[in-house]
Amino acid sequence: VNRDAVVSIGILALFLVATVALGLRAVRRREHNMIEWSVGGRSMGLLLTWVLMAGETYTSFSYLGAAGWSYTNGISALYVVAYLSVGMAVTYLSGPLLWSYAHRHGLHSISDLVGHRFSSPLAGAVVAVFATIFILPYVQLQITGMGVVVATISYGTISLGVAYLLAFLVSEAFVLVSGLRGSAWVSALKDALVVLTLLVVFVWVPVHYFGGYGELLVRMSATHSAWLTLPGPANRELGVGWFISTSALNAVVYSIFPTSVAGFLGARSPQILRQNAVVLPFYQLLLFVPVLLGFASVLVVPGLKDSNLALFTLITHTLPAWLLGVVGAAAALSSIVPMAVFMLVIGTMWTRSMPRWGGGERDERAQRRFAQLITLLTGVVALAMTYLLPNALVRLSVLSYEGIAQLLPMTLLALLWRRLSLVAGLCGLVVGVLVDVTLVLLGRDPLGGINAGLIGLAANLLTAAMVTRLRPADTPDELLAMPEPRVPLAAGH
Amino acid sequence: VLRELLHGRRSLLWLFGPPVLFLAAVPLVNRVEPTVLGMPLFMAWLILATLLTPPCIWLAARRDPLWRPGWQVDVNGADSGHAGVDR
Repeated sequence: VNRDAVVSIGILALFLVATVALGLRAVRRREHNMIEWSVGGRSMGLLLTWVLMAGETYTSFSYLGAAGWSYTNGISALYVVAYLSVGMAVTYLSGPLLWSYAHRHGLHSISDLVGHRFSSPLAGAVVAVFATIFILPYVQLQITGMGVVVATISYGTISLGVAYLLAFLVSEAFVLVSGLRGSAWVSALKDALVVLTLLVVFVWVPVHYFGGYGELLVRMSATHSAWLTLPGPANRELGVGWFISTSALNAVVYSIFPTSVAGFLGARSPQILRQNAVVLPFYQLLLFVPVLLGFASVLVVPGLKDSNLALFTLITHTLPAWLLGVVGAAAALSSIVPMAVFMLVIGTMWTRSMPRWGGGERDERAQRRFAQLITLLTGVVALAMTYLLPNALVRLSVLSYEGIAQLLPMTLLALLWRRLSLVAGLCGLVVGVLVDVTLVLLGRDPLGGINAGLIGLAANLLTAAMVTRLRPADTPDELLAMPEPRVPLAAGH
Repeated sequence: VLRELLHGRRSLLWLFGPPVLFLAAVPLVNRVEPTVLGMPLFMAWLILATLLTPPCIWLAARRDPLWRPGWQVDVNGADSGHAGVDR
């Protein structure tokens, strides 16, 4: 073990210990009931909501994947910025809507919400299982991401297998005890580290290799101009139509994605969510950094086999060991925080939507224990899959957003659509998933330049509308969304 | 239901800003030349769009009857104005 490895591993270890300590400290003097654990007692202010939502959107994909994507496919990587920004405009409306509904009826997750809207616990259970299938791959992706980071910054001293286990242990350690509030506190540490390290690397890389950004972009334009527009150098499919349809779909899906909903429901009031929609988009500026670094890697280290290593290949042998340790800690936390929230959301959905197993309607402590058990099991399954079938789940993760998209009619629209019945919603869901999965399996995603999930959603909506026409439901007012009470505006506003 | 929710909230039209910038405009700006401050046009456009997104949402918010003036929010959730079952 060389001296550099000791230094960078030491710094990473320090931050991981701090993470667990911070996560555990977050819930001192807090009640030990289900609502406190699953949605932070619906009491988080703007700052905690902001760091949590930012923390969820900035995953290990942003660190490794975005740089890797721009390395291989060019600027289309920025579809992430497009859908998150448009998504913020959507959440300005959908966040408060979901918050108010959940608050009024005492709900903790989207499966809970579906069960309540259709007065059918079974519908809630179906959504819980369905969502789990599409979120589990994300948990595994985070474990894999963390493994790559730790193995790289330890200069190969720590093996991938050990690093996977480390990701699992650290995230479970705080989320089991501290739930959503703990995740938000850890997010604060993570966001600080991410901003700091990206700014340092952002300045340092171009100066070190090119003498500045101007030179980097001039050289890109001269020799690699295909990287700077859609569809990019490698895949004709990633054209303008793909960019627009994917960003539009993901923007809407973002606002019902189970982990975003956990963030919404943790807020103290709908006003917090509106404020968050105004300030969070600034955070997306950070996503330009890994994309630019992907470009730098194209020029400096072309021909890598694993594009996800583009960013770290660029900095491993040129940054001092201690700084590499800090960058590694930021990247590791970018895996750990989203992973913890993903697992927590699965635990919450199963508990609340399967009350027979989940400790019954009344016993909050039993509910919480069951949710913790599911959260642990989720991590164990994802870890086992990482070791045994590393590729199966990663393939499924491509489907994640497109799959969750098919829940749109039954979750968000159902609160606005009085005549939508459970049968119509389920028919739409089945058709939407079938269309999407078929297209993906046939290798027809995108189809004619349009995201297959969007095509599936169109089929889904059409089916739901047709069944609704044949057999409309008459949902009582109290199960639909209600306008928020309005306060008179103060003078001068 | 939707009509009730949106009644009297015309400023929310500003929420169409980000989709116009990030989606509708893409076919027009998907090119390298002309460069802006040394940046290829498409990248410069996306940075501009990212910077303009918060102002768009802020313009929607500030005339929204549901927006509470000021950024200070009452601690006990009284600002939500809701009678919730789990508070």
